[in-house]
Amino acid sequence: MKPKEIDWNELTNIIEKHRNDQWGLIPLLQDVQEVFGYIPPDSIDPIAEALNIFPSQVQGVVTFYAGFSLEPKGKYVIRVCRGTACHVKGGRSILRLMKRELDLDEGETSPDYQFTLETVACLGACFLAPTMMVNRSYFGKLSPPKVNTIVAQYGKDKRED
Amino acid sequence: MEEIGLTIDGRNITCNAGTSILNAAGENRIKIPTLCHHPHLEPAGACRLCIVEDEVSGRIMASCVTPVVPNMAIKTDTPSIKKHRINIIRLMMANHPESCIVCNQGNRCELRNIAAELGVGLIDLYPMPHYMRLEEANPFIIRDLTKCILCGKCIRADHELVMVGAIDYNLRGVRSRPATAHERPLEHSTCTFCGTCVSICPTGALVAKNTQYVGSPTKEVSTICGFCGVGCKLLVGSVDNKIVDVNPSHEDGTVNLSTLCVRGHFAHDFLNVDKRLTTPLIRKDGELSPVSWFEALDLVSERFLSIKQTYGPQCMAFLGSSKCTIEENYLFQKMARVSIGTNNVDNTGYFSGRSVLRRMEEKFRGGDRRRPLAELEKAEVLFVLGANPIQSTPVMGYYLKRASRMKNIPLILVDPRRTDMMPFSTLWLPLTPHSDLELINALASILYRWGAYDKDFIDRYTEGFGDYHDSLSSLDMDRVSHLTGLSIQEMESAAELLQGKRIAFVVGHGVLQQRYGTEAMDALLNLALMSGSIGGDGRGFYFVAMENNEMGAWDMGSAPDFLPGRQPIQEDGERKRWERAWKVNLSPHEGLGVLRMIEEAEKGNLKALYVMGENLVRALPHPDRIARALANLEFFVVQDILPNETTELADVVLPGAAFSEKEGSFCNLEGRVQSFVNTVNPPGEARPDWEILADLGTRMGSPEPYSSIVKIRDEISRLVPGYSDLAKSPDQFWIEENSSLKLFNSRKEGGLIRFSPLAQMSDEEQDAKNPFVAIVGSLRFHLGGGTRTEQSERIKSFELKGEVEISNDDGRQLGVRNGDSVTIESPFGSIRREIRLETMARPGIIFIPKAFKQNEVMNLFPLTNSEGADSIGFKEIRVRIEKNSAT
Repeated sequence: MKPKEIDWNELTNIIEKHRNDQWGLIPLLQDVQEVFGYIPPDSIDPIAEALNIFPSQVQGVVTFYAGFSLEPKGKYVIRVCRGTACHVKGGRSILRLMKRELDLDEGETSPDYQFTLETVACLGACFLAPTMMVNRSYFGKLSPPKVNTIVAQYGKDKRED
Repeated sequence: MEEIGLTIDGRNITCNAGTSILNAAGENRIKIPTLCHHPHLEPAGACRLCIVEDEVSGRIMASCVTPVVPNMAIKTDTPSIKKHRINIIRLMMANHPESCIVCNQGNRCELRNIAAELGVGLIDLYPMPHYMRLEEANPFIIRDLTKCILCGKCIRADHELVMVGAIDYNLRGVRSRPATAHERPLEHSTCTFCGTCVSICPTGALVAKNTQYVGSPTKEVSTICGFCGVGCKLLVGSVDNKIVDVNPSHEDGTVNLSTLCVRGHFAHDFLNVDKRLTTPLIRKDGELSPVSWFEALDLVSERFLSIKQTYGPQCMAFLGSSKCTIEENYLFQKMARVSIGTNNVDNTGYFSGRSVLRRMEEKFRGGDRRRPLAELEKAEVLFVLGANPIQSTPVMGYYLKRASRMKNIPLILVDPRRTDMMPFSTLWLPLTPHSDLELINALASILYRWGAYDKDFIDRYTEGFGDYHDSLSSLDMDRVSHLTGLSIQEMESAAELLQGKRIAFVVGHGVLQQRYGTEAMDALLNLALMSGSIGGDGRGFYFVAMENNEMGAWDMGSAPDFLPGRQPIQEDGERKRWERAWKVNLSPHEGLGVLRMIEEAEKGNLKALYVMGENLVRALPHPDRIARALANLEFFVVQDILPNETTELADVVLPGAAFSEKEGSFCNLEGRVQSFVNTVNPPGEARPDWEILADLGTRMGSPEPYSSIVKIRDEISRLVPGYSDLAKSPDQFWIEENSSLKLFNSRKEGGLIRFSPLAQMSDEEQDAKNPFVAIVGSLRFHLGGGTRTEQSERIKSFELKGEVEISNDDGRQLGVRNGDSVTIESPFGSIRREIRLETMARPGIIFIPKAFKQNEVMNLFPLTNSEGADSIGFKEIRVRIEKNSAT
């Protein structure tokens, strides 16, 4: 299965919105990442052209920040917290469970581009430990049954697609 | 500027506010170790080796990025600072592979040198090199990023000096490395292989790919690059009389700073080829056979004197070279004018601009001769016409790119093609080829209508403005728009950028070699006078010069119509002065130029020709015709460094020396005269060209033997206006301006400069048989006709094919695909090349790179301009294209 086709018109619109903006690179990249879920490598050259900088500079910024990706991600990006509080509360088991449920390793995306599994150093919601995020939603006080329900919930979505 | 007082290592120091501690220390000869610092780059604070301690605050800081503050008490070498530095070096070494024994950088490695200075031997740390793939597919640069210490010098040089942007940091943390966009290999990136990063890299992460020798050179000498007219200062390393390494010189104030281009950096390996000419050759029974210098020079002088006796001096001609030195060109034209007595002396600088530049010389009479490229960064607006220095004279291109991108100076680009300059332009005017003249007239007309001209300047220094602006107002703008293919609106936006500004004109071969070159030059001069844009300081003219000593050769009188010092031969006063100096009678008539030499040889009127350092057969159209003309000569002498198409036809071949093998001076396109000494000795029996000329002169009865280069320099500085500093043999000096015109005169009195009458293009008929315009130009990998660059092993193994560029639409209509072979035919000749479709190319215009396949592209042009124009017209021609069947 392939990731969603890129809508070049939409990409061009985003780029045009930021054309010649001084310091416009990161806001532009954020918009692209938000809409497409990643920065398509083919967009690097037009972005550089629009901002009057070199393509290598665009790539440098994209690869520096963990928030930008040059590879397509799944529809749902799951970020399991590996902070100290979550660790103490059994975060490691949650990650192990997620890996087994999704059959993915850290940093991997499922072949049907439904899920991407990532870990983060801390989500900043230690009072809810152990925690994880699915796209922009937080899930706290996780337990194995709760994880199963969440995965099932997003998995069901998949069948509806 | 505010002065700040502080102490460094106990010494009281004052320096300007804003100076970094490192620079303040440097100005006072206090040495602080650095790895990431370079005087030509913005400081980055990456390596942290330059840390110093402020005794007042107790702070430790990186001195390269910390500005001085009043009353600081800086210590540069306390035990704690030293401990920190040692630890930094230990960590770098732990991350560095232990491959010093096979590393090309050898003893030049700055990391190793600093470790040695700090006394770091074994580091007692677990080695953790981060291994990366070695990249050496291209013939120029080996990238071994395992050895990278992340100082960022290569990236900063790329972005700040040459402005190519091929590389930037990629990823982060321990995985971070400089990378090209999409992490492509260099040969598939935008890298131009200027090698600036190689010279600036402190370790062996970036090294030049040397096939013959790996390691440190045993001798390093600074000299001047022998290729284009920029005149970059080089540091040439040699081992056993072979050049093994070329880098930009470390000196300050050079034209190239720390940069070079691919030719200067990597193509000088052509000097080491085995086929260099090493002994004099004389044609015996149809074959060129080696003889002694004695025999060869005796033969040349005897034949020259007897031909002069039999046919008279006007049947002999001398073709010098803008690649040879100032001293050699002086001796060469003196031999023609004094020993023989003819003005038949020229060089191929005529093709690359002299025919057009003489218009300016006639107007300015020796004024406006200094054109420092550094002043481009002070310009108010840059007006670039028919110039793509990014390819032709790359170091000049860096100046333009920096002025546009870093100084935000508006840049108007006038070029029929979308060239590499386009991304750096504020406004691109894609005009119809050779319609520059009409565009310039139109701009002048618009500016006059808007009242945007410098009335004060015009009143004070010029005459004839009234007639000129009268003719401007009668200009038919619709006709201009039709001829140039530009809308009136486009021209008005250009005029808006020029309005009220002092203009810096950057003029390239698109104008210098085009059909209406002289007329366009006149129009430009009018525009410059009208806007008060003459007189230096970022205004006035900057010309692209393809050969290293184009200006110097002209200055030395290597021209049929100019005496040394660019004195027109017709002018009695100057000629009389030279007659007295040389104790001869000089003819007031213009001699034969290079094209007339060929024509006269064809007719059998020219009996003897002496060519020094030119491959005539390759530089001119129609090699067969040239060869036939040269065969008509009774006696043909060629002096060169490589056997080539022209030496094969000679009766006598004299082996000369390349720039790196002799002493001499070149004058670059800025008017900067730079002297140099030899780096290596000439191969075999080859001799410096000036020695050969001096020897021949003595044999032909010259009363003054030139036993050393100093004697020639003495004579030049005594006699040639503008060159009086040459005798002191300084490393460099700027040519003196000595115009009597009011504008250039320090006393502000003297003659006025006259506006030229308005010239216009004639109407052109559609040529349906030849629907394309072929524009011929250089790629950065070759210079001129490519006689020298094609001998470079590195350039050869880069395997450029010199494809013809065509627009996608035209390509589709012709039914051709990338790599297809096509025949390109003009009314004068045809060539076969491979083709490449370019998305960005303009329909109707194709681009053919020069210097490939024996420079066969010249065959598309007629040898002489049938319309009798002054301009040479070797830039563009109407052609048709046919696809070759795949056999």
